[in-house]
Amino acid sequence: MSQEFAVVGKRIRQPDGAAKATGVAQYASDINLPGMLIGKVLRSPYPHAKIKKIDTSRAENLPGVAAVLTPQDIAQWQPFDRGLKDLPMIAGGYIVPAEEHILNERARHFGDAVAAVAATNEHTAQEALELIEVEYEQLPFVIEAEEAMKPGAPQISDVAPGNIGKHMSYLFPEGDVRKALEEADCVVEGTFSTTKQEHCTAETAAAVANLDISGRLRVWSQCQLAHLARRELAHIFNMPVSRIELITPFIGGSFGQRGSVCAEPVAIALALKTGKPVKVVYTREENFIALESRTGFKHNVKMGFKKDGTLTAIEVYMLGRLGGYMGCGPMASTIGMIFGLGHYRCPNKAGEADMVMTNTPVSGAFRGFGNPALMWGIEQLVDEAAEKLGMDPLEIRLKNIKKTGETSGMGPPIESTYLDDCIKRGALAIGWKEKRGKKKEGTIRRGTGMATMTHCSGAAPLYLDHSNAFIKLNEDGSADLTVHPAPVGQHIWGALSQIAAEELGLHADDIHIVTGNTDITLFEYGSDASRSTYAVGNAVLTAAHQAKRQILERAADTLGVAADELEIKDREVYLMTDPRKRISVADVCYDAIYNFKGECLNISGKYSWEGRYSSPPTGAFFAEVEVNIETGRVKVIKFVTAIDCGKAINPMSVEGQLEGSMQQGIGYGLTEDYIINKDSGAVVSDNYDSYKMPGILDMPQSEIVIIDEPDPKGPFGAKGVGEPGMVGVAPAIANAIYDAIGVRIKDLPITPEKILKALKEGNQ
Amino acid sequence: MNGKPYEIAIEPHMLLIEVLRGQLGLTGTKCSCGMGNCGACTVLIDGKATLSCLTLALTAQGKNITTIEGLAEGIKLHPLQKAFIDYGAIQCGYCTPGMILSAKALLDNNPNPTREEVKEALSGNLCRCTGYVKIVDAVLAAAQEMREANK
Repeated sequence: MSQEFAVVGKRIRQPDGAAKATGVAQYASDINLPGMLIGKVLRSPYPHAKIKKIDTSRAENLPGVAAVLTPQDIAQWQPFDRGLKDLPMIAGGYIVPAEEHILNERARHFGDAVAAVAATNEHTAQEALELIEVEYEQLPFVIEAEEAMKPGAPQISDVAPGNIGKHMSYLFPEGDVRKALEEADCVVEGTFSTTKQEHCTAETAAAVANLDISGRLRVWSQCQLAHLARRELAHIFNMPVSRIELITPFIGGSFGQRGSVCAEPVAIALALKTGKPVKVVYTREENFIALESRTGFKHNVKMGFKKDGTLTAIEVYMLGRLGGYMGCGPMASTIGMIFGLGHYRCPNKAGEADMVMTNTPVSGAFRGFGNPALMWGIEQLVDEAAEKLGMDPLEIRLKNIKKTGETSGMGPPIESTYLDDCIKRGALAIGWKEKRGKKKEGTIRRGTGMATMTHCSGAAPLYLDHSNAFIKLNEDGSADLTVHPAPVGQHIWGALSQIAAEELGLHADDIHIVTGNTDITLFEYGSDASRSTYAVGNAVLTAAHQAKRQILERAADTLGVAADELEIKDREVYLMTDPRKRISVADVCYDAIYNFKGECLNISGKYSWEGRYSSPPTGAFFAEVEVNIETGRVKVIKFVTAIDCGKAINPMSVEGQLEGSMQQGIGYGLTEDYIINKDSGAVVSDNYDSYKMPGILDMPQSEIVIIDEPDPKGPFGAKGVGEPGMVGVAPAIANAIYDAIGVRIKDLPITPEKILKALKEGNQ
Repeated sequence: MNGKPYEIAIEPHMLLIEVLRGQLGLTGTKCSCGMGNCGACTVLIDGKATLSCLTLALTAQGKNITTIEGLAEGIKLHPLQKAFIDYGAIQCGYCTPGMILSAKALLDNNPNPTREEVKEALSGNLCRCTGYVKIVDAVLAAAQEMREANK
């Protein structure tokens, strides 16, 4: 059934590979401008404190210091919601109050920004920070969501009574859950907790701002949502959008963290105050405390099954910790419920979430956005149910997974799903039959486990989803493609050039990507929700199709045939019934520009793609682990991710996304723990010596299985693949641990201490 | 520095990475953790993989320093650079210069490493994008190409 492709499906090299391999590629932190100052931020050492007095005189007098800003100096600028999700087209009327200032008089979390300096170099800026004298009034603070909900807890926001930032309800409740649970043959229930995983982007947050003499502001921003960032910055600084040129340089990792504005506001504030270009680069420690990291949850899940394994009910309650500002944390619960409750076929379902403000660094979006959190619980409970019902974990899942045409988690019918293939082929790859459920002996015990998931290819139809692409053909038959997804490392330029080249009958390297500057690019929602290949790709495909029609019409005139009789392959337009009759794309384009009869034409296409659906990628995850019952140490021996991401535009890039997700999933499952000192409110884990993300030696033997069946709505059949690979990793590991040693760990991360404790207690 | 002598005045407290990225404008060397945990700032000093964020610039005086900018000959890429591109071993690319230089230090001493030896040599370099699989593939492929070129 699969279509023959010339470019799509090929393992092409990335257009930006050489720039990155040679060190030429410029990231925000690499930008150096003449006369540029270095900006730095003074951060609160307390989780909740009011500035009583701030004395900047010593800092100001330090030679080389150009500006010192305090909360009073930025009063003319607007507070903001860093999450950028305050959009009209959001399901459930989601409004987040703009409460965060560039600098804050009342610090709401450890690391909140209270003052800033700009100086001629980094050392001077650092020294100036140390010379700022702040007298704080320490306020009572609260770290845990449960504590924050209690009467008498310190209040964090005026617009969040009882510290409830948002109460979120599942968008698609169905049936009567309570009744269904009462009537179920088998009920499983558990309380699970997940962590505030840090993104650990290789590049820390960085921004450069430069105000030119005409009053236009040029900003180098890492934001994944460049046009939304420009809109927010214009709002903060009371400027028309047209006065801001937002440049997206190469971005050294993002994974959702740069879906928010980060270092841009303070860099701009310092540039406006000094009239000089200013660069702000966060330290690794600042990345941990000042940026959004994954929203941590405690959640309760109840599931009801019939004797034969049919799922009849699922009910969840999620309690999320937002931190000192709301950011896009509240949405993590909605997204988690959309995918968690929407994953299996189930007639009775309900979900509620309380998203609670606390005096901790802000929570937000991280690869999977709430989906990994809820699936951490759901996929363990499905295994529990399978055991109670005497079923194989594969069998119970195959029974309950949705098929093409059923309602997707996002609402519309599922365009395509091959999750059954993922389960079957993944099981073969891990050796499920041979390994699962074998008797265990000795100190080191092996186990095998699995989990599944569904995700999205863009946020439609629940949230804004809008992409634009413009393509023009040059006189030699090459093309310039103007788009603005964020180049965060997902090989998006390559994928989009493959899509355009396939449609136009060109080679991938005939397509030159024009991007990264809001002065040039049309509106682009940006790169999140695993949408770039799918949504931007669909815009590119239609724009390229328009250009192709123009090529064919011109060629038809020249060849004296009808346009519908022509096709393009390998840069040549040819008559399908007689391929000897042909003309090169270059000749058609050249003639349209320089040698036209009738109308001149720069062959081009432009398309505004509005997402109305989101083909759900699905996947199955298989882990084989070794557990040392004396030390509690868990080692992942082998890991298989089997993915249905539609047609893989570039299989090498798909593998790369999934292998990277695997690393993040293993970290989420086993080692990554964001630790806050409960007595002081300080973040303890703020660099890689205290926060363990998996290194090369921690990675298992791995295998990626790509089902590669085209989706009817994706460009050339592609679906999203950025986030899916993260979702099921941790529960697959937990289920493998259960297989190995018969204990179930419900709190992330699965540390040796928790394993030993559970073994000692003989589990629940 | 990359085969050419440079005479510059620096302050004694300055780190090698600051001098490289600042005065010399060689921004290919990246700073990621700032405390020697992640390997992004790796350069070669007399052929040895060295963390430039933990190295005082003064101590590099008179030594041969190789940064990522020193690997390609004009537009001809080093086999490691080429393999990293060919094997999809580069995603965001921020850890790539350090990765490539750590790999170069390995291959210069051990032209025929096993998969495990490659992992060992790169164990000080963190990557958040790739899961490391394609990085190891690329280093092994480059090693083979370099061996064949030296035959």
